[in-house]
This record gives sequence, C-alpha cells and structure tokens, in this order.
Amino acid sequence: MEEKYLVCEDSIEGVFTGIYEAYALREGHEHIHIQIGEEGNLRLFATYINIEPDAVKTAKVAQTLRKRLGDEVYLYICRALAAQDRMKGEAVYKTVVNGLSKGGGRRVMENLADTHVERTFELARSAANEALRYIEIVRFKESGEGILFSKIAPKCNVIPFIMPHFADRLSVENFIIFDDMRKIYGVHPALKDWYMVSDSDNSVYDMFGESDKENEYQELFTAFCKTIAIKERINPKLQQQMLPLRFREYMVEFDKK
Amino acid sequence: MEKLNILADAAKYDVSCSSSGSSRGGNAKGIGNTVSAGLCHSFAADGRCISLLKILFTNECIFDCRYCMNRRSNDVPRASFTPDEVCALTMEFYRRNYIEGLFLSSGILYSPDYTMELICQTLYKLRNIHHFNGYIHVKAIPGADPALIHKAGFLADRMSVNLELPTAESLKQLAPNKNRKSILKPMRQIQNTISANKEELTLYRHTPRFCEAGQSTQMIIGATPESDYQIMSVAENLYQKFSLKRVYYSAFVNVNEDKALPALPGGPPLLREHRLYQADWLLRFYGFKVDELLTDDRPNFNMRIDPKADWAVRHLELFPIEINRADYRLLLRVPGIGVRSAKRIIGARRFGNLNFNDLKKMGVVLKRALYFITCSGKMMYPTKIEEDYIVRNLTDDKERLKFTNDGMRYEQLSLFS
Repeated sequence: MEEKYLVCEDSIEGVFTGIYEAYALREGHEHIHIQIGEEGNLRLFATYINIEPDAVKTAKVAQTLRKRLGDEVYLYICRALAAQDRMKGEAVYKTVVNGLSKGGGRRVMENLADTHVERTFELARSAANEALRYIEIVRFKESGEGILFSKIAPKCNVIPFIMPHFADRLSVENFIIFDDMRKIYGVHPALKDWYMVSDSDNSVYDMFGESDKENEYQELFTAFCKTIAIKERINPKLQQQMLPLRFREYMVEFDKK
Repeated sequence: MEKLNILADAAKYDVSCSSSGSSRGGNAKGIGNTVSAGLCHSFAADGRCISLLKILFTNECIFDCRYCMNRRSNDVPRASFTPDEVCALTMEFYRRNYIEGLFLSSGILYSPDYTMELICQTLYKLRNIHHFNGYIHVKAIPGADPALIHKAGFLADRMSVNLELPTAESLKQLAPNKNRKSILKPMRQIQNTISANKEELTLYRHTPRFCEAGQSTQMIIGATPESDYQIMSVAENLYQKFSLKRVYYSAFVNVNEDKALPALPGGPPLLREHRLYQADWLLRFYGFKVDELLTDDRPNFNMRIDPKADWAVRHLELFPIEINRADYRLLLRVPGIGVRSAKRIIGARRFGNLNFNDLKKMGVVLKRALYFITCSGKMMYPTKIEEDYIVRNLTDDKERLKFTNDGMRYEQLSLFS
C-alpha cells in the first residue's frame, strides 16, 4: 500500500490536527506518517498531504487524549512536542495510536520497549530537563522602572513550562522572559495571569535599560560565586559537567566583563 | 562587597547546599515559593552547586576549634552583617533568580544565646517585614537557649546542627569548646518538635510549620582516624534515631597548619568522601544496611569500585538475576540499575519481555550490570561469574594504573608470598 505523509506545522496545534486527519482517513495507521515541516528529499511512492492547523480539531484531539490517556500522558505529549526534533510528530502520533487503539491506555508511557513510545518519552524528558534547567538559570535584570527582564536561548520551547513556576514565585513582580531562538515573550504583570506574545525582532527586549542598582548586585553575586569555591577542590571539569557551556551565555556570573 | 566576600569565604566549608524537602506555593503578599526537589542555580569553580546564599552572620567566634578557619586564635579579617543587610541581599538576589534562598550560619559572637538571638531577628525580619516566602536553612548554635531554637525553627525550612566529628573523643581533641551533649541536645529537640508539629498539622491544617524540610548535619572526614565503618554507623544511627533528612560528609581541608591535624599531601580525601556519599545513598534509597557494606574486618570502602559493586561481587551467589521476574528490591541491588531504571523496568515488563536493548534505552548501565543479570534466561554475552574477573572488568585501564601502589585489594600475585 502507498505511504501517506501528513505534513504539519511545528506546533501542538499542527500535530494534533494531523492526528485528527490521520484518524479521519480510516485506513489504519501503518502506512500513515506525520511529518513536521517540508522536507527537501521527497519519496517517490508516497503521497504528501498538507495539513492546516485547525483550532476546533485540535481541541477535540486534546480533549480525547486527556479523557482516555489521562493528564499525565497528555503532559508527556505536550512536552515531547516542545522538544527540538524533526521526528517528534511521528513519535507522538504512533504513541497516541498505541494508547488509543492498541490498549496502552493510561499506562502507555510505561511501554518503553515500543520504539515510538520510547522516543516520545525521551523527547519529553529532554524538554522537561531543559525547562527545569532554565528555571534554575534564568537571570533577571531590573530595569529602571523596576521591571525584571531576562533573555534565554533554549533548544526546546520552554517558556510555557517555566512561566507557571515564576508566576507563582514572583507573583508580585512585573517580569518578562524573552526566548531569543523563537522570538517569544513570556509576560507576567504583577498579580495577574501570565501570557505569551511573539515578536519578529528584539525591539521590545531592547527597550529595557538596566537600573542603577543592577550592576552592583551583579557584581556582588559574581564575587559571591567566586568566593564560595574551595580553592583545594577546584575542578572545572566537574563544573562543566554540572553546567554545560551552552547555558552560561546569559548568566551574569559567567559574563566576562 | 568586602563584607560579603569575607563572610561567604568563611561559610564555604559548610557543605549543605540542598534546597529540597519543602513544597510551598507562592502567595500574593510577598515573593517566593519552594520546590520539593530543590533547585541549583549555579555551579562554582569547584563543581559544587550554588543554591542558597551561603553566608555567616559573623565570622567572629569565641570558640577555638582546631580545624576551623574562624577560630579565635586565627588572625583573619573579621566582619559582621546587620539583619537588614542580610535581608536586602537575600531579597535582591532572590528576585533576580540568582538563589533559591538563604543559608545562614554564624560564628559565635559573645555567647551562643546572643548569636542565636541575632539570627532569629534576621529571619523574623525576612519573613514578616520583607515577606520572603522562599527557602531558609539555618544553623542551630550548640548551647543556645532551647526557646530560641524553637523560635528559629518556625521561621526556617531546615535546621541543622553540625556533628563536626564522628566520635566524642575526636570532638574533645579538636573542638575543645564543643561536646557531644551540646550538639545532640538541640538535634533531639528539633526532632521532637518536628514530630509534634506533624501531629498538630494533621489536626489543624494551618498551624505554623516547624522545619518543614527536616534537619541535617555534617561530619568532617579525614581529620581524625575513624574508619569508614564507624562513620557510616554514626550516619545510620542519625538517620534512624534522630530522623535526619541528610548527613553531609566534608572532606577535610587543612586551612590551619595545626599540629593536632593531619597533613594531607595529596589534597583533601575527595575519593573517600565520594565513597561515603555513595554508601549514604545506598542506605537511604536502596535498602542497604551498614553491616552489609562494611564489617570490622573490612572497615574501609574499596577505593577501586563503588560500594554497591563491591557488595555485589562479594555476593555472587545471588546473581545473575532475571530481569523479567526479579522483584524491585532485588533489582535495586544490581550495579548499574538505579531507582529510576528499576521502576521503569517494573512498569515496562507488564507489556512484554524485555531484552538488553530495551534496558539500555531505559538507562540501565549495561557496562556494569551485564555480569549480574539475565534477560529471558540469557546473559548479554558469555562471561565468567568470578570475583576477580568481574572486578578487573569493572575498573577501566586508567583507574587500574592509579591504584597499583596502595589501598588495593585485588592485586597481582606477588613473587614472594
């Protein structure tokens, strides 16, 4: 039988719509695949179908997944879709099929011997780990108006996963986190709900200037980090293992000023 | 700035860094919440995590502990914070997400009571004036009034009293102003208050919480001649009888050039510290007992392989075990399988038999595990089940060279023995 590729947008909406359409085809799932974005190298004996993201279909799929697979699996799936990987659509789609049609049910994520489930699990884990890492290493700077702002460059789309943490922790602060890779802002006005905004350039971020006290605290913390290390135990390799270089770009204590 | 440098420098030998164990949502009044798993915000050049703003309130001290940099007889620059300075630093660092909370310890200024009073004042200000709702770890000063310790406990997430040295004799020798009793007394008090508080909490949900994240302690390793067996037994006792959350081990760093202290030409005993931590984990998460790991005849850990592998090669009669059948507790005993992979195995084998490839994907370290397990009755590849052979394969070439001179148990046959 001919292979069919559903070409979806790289977003939760895109992939969920793709899953909806895959089920709507009613041709079984063995020969249907979900692909994210256009691929340069097309296959000869395959049909490519473009899928437009659709809010209604997305909501239907989301509702079914939550009802039949449970919130925990749903969270895994959302995390996996935030990861940076070209094959994530296919992995998630086949995991969903495994859960809904092959009896995996709420336990589907435990079936790690299945390649697609395992892949989804891995992607979800990498996204969750990166989100946790960014919860730790986001460094806010204070602007003249007392707004906290921060820039990050994560591999996965972590903003939706880290904003709830900061909204809870710094509920009385106005703060903004800017994802430089995707040009997305997470915005939190004091004592209100947070939301996301996307922007094509850095113009909003560049508006912020540092307050007078900001530099002083940056220096204090840098000095603190330097002092706290025990001379006899210096071990840069261990430090790098615990905190790889790619995370250090926007951290004030590693800023080589 | 100068002050922060002096007092952070003085606090750096305190090992405790965790910000874990308490989970509390934020509130609309102030800033801060706590996450039960703890967060490490940065890592210092020695590879240790920076989670809390770790400072001493003052490094002036009336005590004269031999191993301590801040002892009375040392000539070091002295400084003290005021409560307001500590509050400002904590708040500003916390807002910028530099730190997870405050770790406040102190040298003893004038008297234990006076110092503890100052610490309490600081914590009170931080919690009630600045509405700081994040993590606070505070030291209980041995010898301070129990009422003050009680007060501090309601303001902090975790309290700790340092045991300093594993036995009473060494303590007498190196810390003449401290004694076992003055250390264990506050520890017992904190334990009792925590358990009483827990009962109260089940009745009255909103009653104030006392040291939600429990208490911890630390011991200095390598300054005195205790064996690993003694140290681990003390630790086991502390976990069982004092219900501590954590015991920290701190490789002794010689800062004082004192004749009562050993000279350490090879630097601090870091590998020994590492082995103790490994064993500590085995006690807390793997269901091991100290007596299984060490005995009077073998009082020290094997420096070449980790305590778990060491235990396994001495109990080869139990292995290999079958991955698709063995129960959770047995799985945990296999080197290369940790808590997480054991749980994953239990979950995944409901769907069908597992093979070595699946195990690898689940995070089992086959390099170490392959000598001890079978999948559907087969080993990964034919291998001898023999102590010497396995040990040789568990240590890699580089390590083998390192240990040829001393402290080695498995060695080549000597010509003259």
